[in-house]
Order: sequence, then structure tokens, then C-alpha cells
Amino acid sequence: MLSCEDVSYSYLDRFPALDEVSLDVLPGQRLALLGANGCGKTTLLKVLAGLVFPTTGTVSAFGRPLTEDALADAGLNAAFRARVGLCFQNPDVQVFSPTVREEVAFGPLQLGLPTDEALARTTQVLELLGVADLADRTPMQLSGGQKKKVAIASVLATNPEVLLFDEPTAALDPRSRLWLEDLLATLAASGTAIVSATHDLDRLTHVADRAVVLAEDHRVLADAPTTEILADHDLLVTANLVAPG
Amino acid sequence: MADPTVLHVGQHVDVPAWLLAPEPHAPVYRPSGRRRRRGFLDATADRSAQVLRQVVLCDETAARPGLLQRLDPRTAVVAMLVVLVALALVHHPVVLVVAWAAVAGLAAASRVPVGLARAWVVVPAVTCLVAAPVTLSVVRPGDVVVVLWTWHGTGHGLTAQGLTAAAVLVARAGCSVAVVLLVTATTSWTGLFAALGALGVPRVFAQVLAMAHRYLVLLVTVAADMVTSRQVRTITGVRHDRTGRAVLGASVGALVAKAYQLTDEVHQAMVARGYRGHTRTLRTCRFGAADLVAALVVPAAAAALLIWDGTLG
Repeated sequence: MLSCEDVSYSYLDRFPALDEVSLDVLPGQRLALLGANGCGKTTLLKVLAGLVFPTTGTVSAFGRPLTEDALADAGLNAAFRARVGLCFQNPDVQVFSPTVREEVAFGPLQLGLPTDEALARTTQVLELLGVADLADRTPMQLSGGQKKKVAIASVLATNPEVLLFDEPTAALDPRSRLWLEDLLATLAASGTAIVSATHDLDRLTHVADRAVVLAEDHRVLADAPTTEILADHDLLVTANLVAPG
Repeated sequence: MADPTVLHVGQHVDVPAWLLAPEPHAPVYRPSGRRRRRGFLDATADRSAQVLRQVVLCDETAARPGLLQRLDPRTAVVAMLVVLVALALVHHPVVLVVAWAAVAGLAAASRVPVGLARAWVVVPAVTCLVAAPVTLSVVRPGDVVVVLWTWHGTGHGLTAQGLTAAAVLVARAGCSVAVVLLVTATTSWTGLFAALGALGVPRVFAQVLAMAHRYLVLLVTVAADMVTSRQVRTITGVRHDRTGRAVLGASVGALVAKAYQLTDEVHQAMVARGYRGHTRTLRTCRFGAADLVAALVVPAAAAALLIWDGTLG
């Protein structure tokens, strides 16, 4: 579905964020991007979402090169955005519409769904996430956890084939976290690819089958099944994911 | 040789010895009997909190049942424009005062809290200061009704014409502001922005306004948090106005940087969900019986005001 090959990226051409990173995102797979703070997880998600473009290396999506030029094509852009959804770490970034209902409907409407269908889908997704009673609230009236749920709902509403999550369970209470893990597993079973950037190892096996570990030098340190990654203590220490000793 | 001021804890952390000892500079924990003087930052924090309270109060007022809350936002905006034009054409202060009283009556029927109506008094008071020179004979010659000084044997002071002009100015400003505040207090911001879009204001403009409102509130919250975080680390009773202003300056810089970063990420979040420069939004406005009544009553009331104003001369 998505593929990166030797992707490097630097902010302002001075601050490296990714260094020759390669990975594939496969249908139905739950992939975790693991790494310490500042190792490039968020940047990699944005590269996969076609929001930033690599300085060197190539990215392809659904068999075509994913470049700025390619996404300038309206048809391809719409097709790509319909297939790939990104949930930002900071829900305030994502919840920009005046009300929760409009926020969740934003994606479906931009993708050309009729208003009635977009509204019906919005209602269903809000009910799915247990926040239907917040539909007419403004973002200012939401708690951090509620905003996170609305941000997740706004991405689910476009029914993407690839779901990119930046710290998906951050700011969620334990019950909501378990519920989200179940939902992600169900979506993956139906063929949706889930990519989650996280440094939370405690619940890793519940959100991912495979993990790509990014080192603090922004390179890929390992790409293996989650259980293998978790069993390799030295690797986790090197990646600064667990304390030495 | 080991540094005696550093304690080695475990394998990784060298903690300075002072961090593990009681703070010798901490003031004694007892009342000093002196009131803490409020400074520049306290006022800023208070003001930020006040802005947030106003926003919340506005939203709550718009959501509660009331006379004007029944109106569709489009009706409310058009009615507001009709009344503002009528007020701009009225020239007699008595008519304006009556209109003002009517607006106050509508506010009461719409259950607008007193906290939101404070500006109804503040704006005319400020306008009084601005209009004060107009009352003087040196600015607006006419029949002097109160002599304040004499110049070459001629009495100068407040003129009847000047007082009338000032009264019209103050009443018109006060009444117009009251109408605008009444509509914004009884209509949700989201409804107002949607109404602007529905009434022909370019959709992108209405959307930018809506997002500006959304993120302004967020940035005020961040600013308030910044000031509060500085306050909780302010220990001494010394006034810190100068450093306070420096902190505020730095905070403004940090806020600008944060706003810039936020702008970038919000745009990315929009693009990621299919935004390509043209936005489709939900239309949530609905006309009802109250709108029909308003469509008949508001123009009639505006016409009545103008006719009465004409008969008064």
C-alpha cells in the first residue's frame, strides 16, 4: 500500500529527522513505529501521509510514486486522501471546525460525499466512539480525551485503507484505550493497515503485530514482529526505549 | 577527586547536593501581614481568564431558551443590519433612547446575563469622553446654556446644539453597540459564521473567521497558562513589573511561534482530509415561524423609528 525506500528528510535542510529509512505498509497489518522522542516518528507519518516530501529517497503509494507533483493532480490527490488518514498527536491541530459535528463531517464532505450521507456517517462514527452527545459542542468545550476521540472520529469518517496514528492512545482513559485497541484490531482484520507511532511498550502487542524501531540517529534500527522486538532488550536500550540495566 | 557538592545516586544521575537538602532561601511559612501587590502579570492573567469567561458565557447564553435565540442566524444578522442602518439615520436623541430601552427589553426577554451587558454602559461612557469637546462653544458654536468662561466679554461654555450633537452621538453609539452585542450574545458564533457564508460573504472568509475565533481562544488559554506558570514560580513580594513585562514580551514571541507552528499543522490536518482550497461545509441553518415574525416586525419597527424621528424634526 505504502512504501518508503532510503527516505531522508531534514527540517530547514539543517535538522535531520529521517536518515535512509525504508519500510513497507501492507494491507491488514498493524505496524508500530517505535523510537525515543525526536527520532523522526511523526515526520515519517507525515511522509507516509504525503504532507512532507523526502529530501532524498522515494515513497510510493498504491503502486504509484508519491511526490508533490503527483499530488498536484486533483484526481490522484482525492484518491490518495480518501485512502490514507492521519490522526495527529495534538488533537487541537485536528479539531479546527466550529462544532464536533462539522469537524467529523469535514473529511467526508471534502471527499465529495452528499451532505446527507456525510451527516449519517458522522452520526454513526460519533456513536461508535461514544461521543454522540458532544455533536453540537465547540472544541473549546471538550476535555483533552474528548478532543482526542473527536480527532479519531474525524479520521475514521473518511474510511481510509491506511490509518496513520501519532500516539493513538495518548490522552485516553484506560477504558477508551482498550476500546481503541479493539477497534484497531477489528479494522485490521477487515484489511485496513494501521500504522501507529508510539513509545509506549506496555500495550505494544495490543496495537501492533510488527514494529519498526527508529534510532536516535534517525535510521531504522530494526524491523521485525513485535514479540521479537520486545524480547530484544539490548535493541530497546540502544533505541532509548527502556532504561539500561 | 569526587566533587563534594554532587551526590552520586544509582548509576545514571548525579544530583547536586542542594537539591536533596531543605531550601535555605525559602521564606518562613507564616503570614507576613502585608498584602501582596498585584502587578502587570496578575492583570494579564485576570484579563485572559475574563476573555475566556466571556466566550463561555456567550456560548451558554446563545444555547439557552429565549426570545432571540429562536431566530435563525441568517435572520438575526439581517435584522441586525436593518436596525443598524435605521439607527444611523435617526437624528433625535429621544428616539435613540427609546430604541435603546427596546433593545434592553429584548435582552431581558432573551435572558442575556448582566455580565455580558456591561459593555452597554462602558461603550457610551467612553463615547462621552470622545464627544465631550463637541459640547463646547469653541467647537460647536450655538446657544450657550452653561457659561464656563468669558472671552472678550462673550460667554463661552456648553451649547444647546453641542449637547444635542453629543447626546445623539453617545446614544447612537451605545444603541448600535447594544444591538450588535445582543445579536452576538444570543446567536452562537458557529451560527453567525455559517450565516455570513449563507448571506453571500465568501465561504473562505467565513471559515477563516471561524477558525480565527477557535484558535484565538486556544492561544488565550496558552497565554493564560504561560502567565500562571510564571506566577506560581514568583516567590518574593517584590514588584516585578519590569521583569513581568519582559516575561510577557517573551511569551508573546513564544505565542507567535506557536501560532505559526499551529497554522502549519492545522493546514496539514486539513490537507490530510482532502482539503484542496475549496471547502464544503454543513448547512445547519433552518427558518421557522419566529423568523417570519422577525421579518415582519423588524422592518416595521425600523420604519416606525424613522417616521417618529421625522416628525420630531
